[in-house]
Amino acid sequence: MSKYLDLEITEIHELLKTKKITPIDLVDECFERIEKNKDLNAFITLNKEAAYQKARQLEQEEIKGMLYGLPIAIKDNIITKDLRTTAASKMLENFIPIYDADVIEKINKNQMIIIGKANMDEFAMGSSNQTSYFKPCKNPWNKALVPGGSSGGSAAIVSSRITPFALGSDTGGSIRQPSSFCGIVGLKPTYGRVSRYGLIAFASSLDQIGPMTRNVYENALLLNIICGKSKNDLTSFETNEDFTRLIGKDISKMKIAIPKFYVNDAIDQEIKDKLETVIKLLEKAGCSIDYIDIKYIDKAVTLYQIIAMGEASSNLARFDGIRYGYRYDHPKNINDLYLKTRRYGFGNEVKRRIMIGSYLLSGKNATTYYNKALEIRDDMRNSFLEVFNEYDLIIGPTTTTKAYPLGKDLDDAVKAFMDDILTIPVNMAGLPGLNLPIGFSNDHLPIGMQIIGSCFQEAKIYQLASFIEKSLNLDLNPNKGDKNE
Amino acid sequence: MNNYIETIGIEVHVELKTNTKIFSPSKNGYGMMANSLTNVIDLGYPGTLPTINYGVIETAIKACHVLHCNIRKKMHFDRKNYFYPDNPKNYQITQARTPIGYNGYVEIEVNGKPKKIEIEEIHIEEDTCKSAHRGDVTLLDFNRAGVPLIEIVSKACISNSKEAMLYLEKLKELLFYADISDCKMEEGSMRCDANVSLRRNIDDPLGTKCEIKNIGSISNVGIAIEKEIERQAKLLDNNETFKEQTRRFDDKLNNTVLMRVKETGNDYRYFPEPDIPYLELTETEINKAIQTLPMLAEERKEKYMSRGVSLLNANKIIANRSLSDYLNEFLDTDMNFSTAINLLLGDISFYLNREEKTITDTCLTKEKMLDLVAKLDNNTLSSKNLKEIIDDILKSNKTIEEIMKEKNITNITDIYVLKEIVSKVISNNLESVEDYKAGKDRALKYLMGQIMKETKGSANPKLVNEILIEELNNNC
Repeated sequence: MSKYLDLEITEIHELLKTKKITPIDLVDECFERIEKNKDLNAFITLNKEAAYQKARQLEQEEIKGMLYGLPIAIKDNIITKDLRTTAASKMLENFIPIYDADVIEKINKNQMIIIGKANMDEFAMGSSNQTSYFKPCKNPWNKALVPGGSSGGSAAIVSSRITPFALGSDTGGSIRQPSSFCGIVGLKPTYGRVSRYGLIAFASSLDQIGPMTRNVYENALLLNIICGKSKNDLTSFETNEDFTRLIGKDISKMKIAIPKFYVNDAIDQEIKDKLETVIKLLEKAGCSIDYIDIKYIDKAVTLYQIIAMGEASSNLARFDGIRYGYRYDHPKNINDLYLKTRRYGFGNEVKRRIMIGSYLLSGKNATTYYNKALEIRDDMRNSFLEVFNEYDLIIGPTTTTKAYPLGKDLDDAVKAFMDDILTIPVNMAGLPGLNLPIGFSNDHLPIGMQIIGSCFQEAKIYQLASFIEKSLNLDLNPNKGDKNE
Repeated sequence: MNNYIETIGIEVHVELKTNTKIFSPSKNGYGMMANSLTNVIDLGYPGTLPTINYGVIETAIKACHVLHCNIRKKMHFDRKNYFYPDNPKNYQITQARTPIGYNGYVEIEVNGKPKKIEIEEIHIEEDTCKSAHRGDVTLLDFNRAGVPLIEIVSKACISNSKEAMLYLEKLKELLFYADISDCKMEEGSMRCDANVSLRRNIDDPLGTKCEIKNIGSISNVGIAIEKEIERQAKLLDNNETFKEQTRRFDDKLNNTVLMRVKETGNDYRYFPEPDIPYLELTETEINKAIQTLPMLAEERKEKYMSRGVSLLNANKIIANRSLSDYLNEFLDTDMNFSTAINLLLGDISFYLNREEKTITDTCLTKEKMLDLVAKLDNNTLSSKNLKEIIDDILKSNKTIEEIMKEKNITNITDIYVLKEIVSKVISNNLESVEDYKAGKDRALKYLMGQIMKETKGSANPKLVNEILIEELNNNC
């Protein structure tokens, strides 16, 4: 069996360029691996026919860049024309979109091959992939564990080396947390870096699409092609840069901050120990590291719940059974149509958040909660930005725990948010944040760290991340030694 | 019935005349095939986002200007959340907290005295889609979904139905002439809701108000308000209390009908639209928008009247925008406006109405119009003959000379030719000359008739008259 998909992107690219292999060979291998990893339940919909067609078409095309012919998996809340897009909800179980998200147009233009739609938490609400209407995805390192969420499918796919690339989305940690649980590199870009047009909205002021990959360099490559201002998204920004440009550059003068909140008691000792190893490594390399305070960072989860659920309650109002998606069959009247369609079309977690969000925006609550939360969010953001006046980057753990067993915490709505106390502040401040694998627990589960930059400082994040990655030189393939051999 | 003090406030929704919709690139049009002017944004598809049509902002700035509103420099949009089938996202993007315009007024004339109807605010929002009920199914046409609207909210300072109607007529004229909207109430591009309440004394707090929605014409606004006042007065006369209501005007019943009783204030769960960043207007942008305003009705009237046009005729021309626009082309010429307006309101309007055309559809170029007015003024063409050739003037590219020649219309203005004819007629009718000398006026008319007969009506009557008197006096 071929193992092209275990090679570095530069190596695969060389093989494609010299015509030693064709994109079809890669697609073949992808679908073999999908078959082998069926029990992960990482995909909701496969794009087999169209992927082969695209691969054949690419053979006739000139190679335009490094990502030519490379397979990618797309989180199922990103709209793909003619390819079922469900957001892991019964509401969109049979929804075949008639347009492409901006990022999908870019993926296609850059000659990548979409292999399928990745499993996720329903409407990206959840952090363990267990709210998916299509059953949970599993962690490739231990199938009794969750892959994290909400981009759990995307993380499991890249981790198990089915595709080297995946797109995820991150509203409160949905890229970084599963990347941490599955041992891959995942970036939530600066808010506005990537167009949200075609991302099924959860919380509009927080959502961001980002790259999920096996390593830092490949992450930067994918960000290179998906970023940029779009005429379709007023909150997007024009940026023109090569995110790989600082990779390998000297980091010895870097000033790094660690928020004291990021080493609190809620965080597993194992994780803190691994972080300590990295801190030593960086100090040895000449970086300075200080522990600092950030205003309101401990309140971020509360603020997040108000803003995210408020916005979600409005964003999900459009799913009413009238124009698309699931519709309750025999409504008595229009109100009955709304009620029953939404009662049966949405899962419990989604309904819980819509109800809380609606409550938070009702009457005087809008000013008491939502507007107040927006104000404090601005303060927190400013507090972060002040730190970046003095420091290059902020680091800390990505999660408080390693991957946990499936079935756990499903009914503890509050605990589920506590998983995200370290990732949510980054969304609240609109900053870029990246998960980098930094080691394994005693029971050989991946542990990740988070690198947070100032606005539009992704290149600097990659610079530090690639240094640590190279120094640690971890073996992050969960299949090593078994079935893909 | 007791006497009550009426308090009326009016909300007007106006569809803006832009090429595309407010938050999507779909065309903004009326009367097209259902759902032909839609895209995924208008339909509220998952993943779609709004963009801003800056033409809408520009048009709203103009509206603020002509309605004397302050213009807000920094503003945002808000989501108004409610479920309804005509509301594709189940939220409407509007401006709840930062309306673009505030504290304006419209000046009307009540019994010869000016009165300012104050405007509370003007905000920008998107229109909903149109529902059509067919038996037990409802059809939705999304062509209207996302059409830009401004809502103009008056203060509760309108004292009676007459003022309400005057206010709406003035508003319509202002918005129409500023190219903000075509203001066609019958097509729904201008829609009115009236809030009416009564109280006994000026010092009393405002009474319970009822809202009458979507009234289809300005005269119906007047009727609806009258009927509502009557209804409320009866209740108050009987010391009945009533709850706030929303009613609609039924033009078959010619009365208002209850739609719903307002229980508690509607909870629209407003919050700032996160998909659209704050908008900041610069002084330059505002001025630029205002500079592109066309000449408004008041200014047109003044200009026409300064050219000798009567107030009555000026108002008549203003009532027809395309004629007024046409006339404005001649402001920099020395054309006789009185003659021109008589012509436009008379024979030309008659033709246009009959043919269902507008002035720009005709062959009446600027040069031709100038020529025509000049010919009428200097008697080269009589108004009688004009009627014969007006169709050809408007339909063909030929010059007026050419048309007159074809139709054999000559207007003899050559004094020598005329003198010869006059002499001939005098020598053939010496009796009449005697009568004239004897002071019999009838003789002059008889001689004129003989001359016109001789020339088959083509002699210029004014000139003939002058020459005849001269010749008769010479004969004395």
